[in-house]
Amino acid sequence: MTLLRIDDVYQSYEAEQVLQGVSFDMQQGDVDVLMGPSGSGKSTMLRCINRLTEVDSGDIWLGDTHVTAPETDVNELRQDVGMVFQDFNLFAHLTALENITLGLKRVKGVHAEQARERARGHLDQVGLGDQTDAYPAELSGGQKQRVGIARALAMEPKLMLFDEPTSALDPELVGDVVAVMQDLAAGGMTMLVVSHEMGFARSAADDIHFLDNGQIVESGPPEQLFEQPEQDRTAGFLSGLQADGPQ
Amino acid sequence: MSTEESSAVDDVGIAAGVSVERPWALLVLAGFWGWLGSRWINDFLLPDSIAVSSERSFVPVDPVAAAAETLGSVAAALGPVGAPVDVVASLVGFVAGSLPHLPPLARGAWLTLLLTVAGIGFGFVLAVPLSVGRVYGGRWLRWLSLSYTELIRGTPLLAQLFVLYFGLPLTQVIRELPGVGAGPLPAQAFWVAVVGFTLNSAAYQAEYIRSALESVDAGQLTAARAVGLSRAEGIRYVVLPQGLRYAIPGWSNELIYLIKYSSLAAFITVRELFFRAEAIANDTFRYTELFVLAALFYLALVLSASVVMGWVEERSSVPGVGGRQ
Repeated sequence: MTLLRIDDVYQSYEAEQVLQGVSFDMQQGDVDVLMGPSGSGKSTMLRCINRLTEVDSGDIWLGDTHVTAPETDVNELRQDVGMVFQDFNLFAHLTALENITLGLKRVKGVHAEQARERARGHLDQVGLGDQTDAYPAELSGGQKQRVGIARALAMEPKLMLFDEPTSALDPELVGDVVAVMQDLAAGGMTMLVVSHEMGFARSAADDIHFLDNGQIVESGPPEQLFEQPEQDRTAGFLSGLQADGPQ
Repeated sequence: MSTEESSAVDDVGIAAGVSVERPWALLVLAGFWGWLGSRWINDFLLPDSIAVSSERSFVPVDPVAAAAETLGSVAAALGPVGAPVDVVASLVGFVAGSLPHLPPLARGAWLTLLLTVAGIGFGFVLAVPLSVGRVYGGRWLRWLSLSYTELIRGTPLLAQLFVLYFGLPLTQVIRELPGVGAGPLPAQAFWVAVVGFTLNSAAYQAEYIRSALESVDAGQLTAARAVGLSRAEGIRYVVLPQGLRYAIPGWSNELIYLIKYSSLAAFITVRELFFRAEAIANDTFRYTELFVLAALFYLALVLSASVVMGWVEERSSVPGVGGRQ
């Protein structure tokens, strides 16, 4: 079943064309990775899917929901689309637990005690059951990002968006976050990930989309893209990544 | 963030300085409030049959005056080496001269406290929507709240009080309200001053809160929106709780200004601290003593405010947001 359909999306920011006709589909349970040089429109693509950014033209469908239709309730939509940020963006004044319960209480209307119960479950799931009362300032980057993932999961989304989830982390902390993402992927979560983390892409991705100048240059399973890319641009970018190691 | 953290250490202000490094200052303040509180209870609450007359000092004046005189003559007898004794004598003399004026000043300080608390409190209630409108409002709302703050901050507080008191029919309206000026409730001039300080303080507080809101990382609201909170909910539950914590140091400044600016209410006949001091000085011609005395009252009020705000800052801070990092 097709969960996400991106159809010929254009987006511009102040006279600059960011996305120029991007199209792809994701099936339920797919894990797709968006790669490409900085400024190629990867993050913008993600933000269009939960309407943090509005498209200029084109359509996005999430299941039966016409995401890009003006009458679509964005607050409803966003409950179905979890988002994980490069800079974590944990609510700085709330503990790890409260970061998760805020949405449950205020958006889903879950009763306070039940919200705490569910939040503890999600923190356990990302391996942070012992950090429920820690404030973001007291957590390491890797822990923050795992709280960020738990916060998004708690809303029980149909699709999870990851915007460079490991690129702000010290190298030794990347592994924990990647492990959580691999668990999620194995558990059947549909995930669209902007990342240059080769290890994750190789082990978990169904498809990799190589984006350059707002267009998808090439798509395919990781082994095909990494070993035998059809386009020179893809080959050049990926060989650069592999030479530099994971970012 | 790391640069902010290191500068925050220098940014502690008087508050923590008073409470941590000078415990004796806390003792003096405790004594001041103990005396002031019992004065208010005596003057406003106790029935006349058991209260000390509201015109009489708790400490009898005559023995203190006699002591000052004795010390003075001792100093004179000692000649040049008696200079330190002479200093003590004149200090005791100052206390003896001040004692009779303390009761009316204490009653004035009551109105000063009420004016300040009302101004900062009601002003805050206005300042939050003003600053949110300024930062997150549409064009029209931004323009409106900017105009308000610039108009208020750009004109003298005294002129604002005069317009409210003499220029507008506000005084008449308030005078007609039930209870005003009757029993323990102050007369209309006080309420006009409350309106004036509220409107004025709101503008200044809005500026402090605005800059604090702007210092909250934009990603916070983005994350709130991504979870499914509306913009208003994101501001209410995520941005404001952080911004208001960042605003506390600036907000403490506004409280300290307001304590002193409340003396302008004297010009519209509110019988607060400065009004009382000036009235007594005019009667007794002891200008220096009375204004020094009034200044000491203000100093004690301001230091108390610093201590309280330092405590509020500490209590409300969480790791990473506000307080001493």
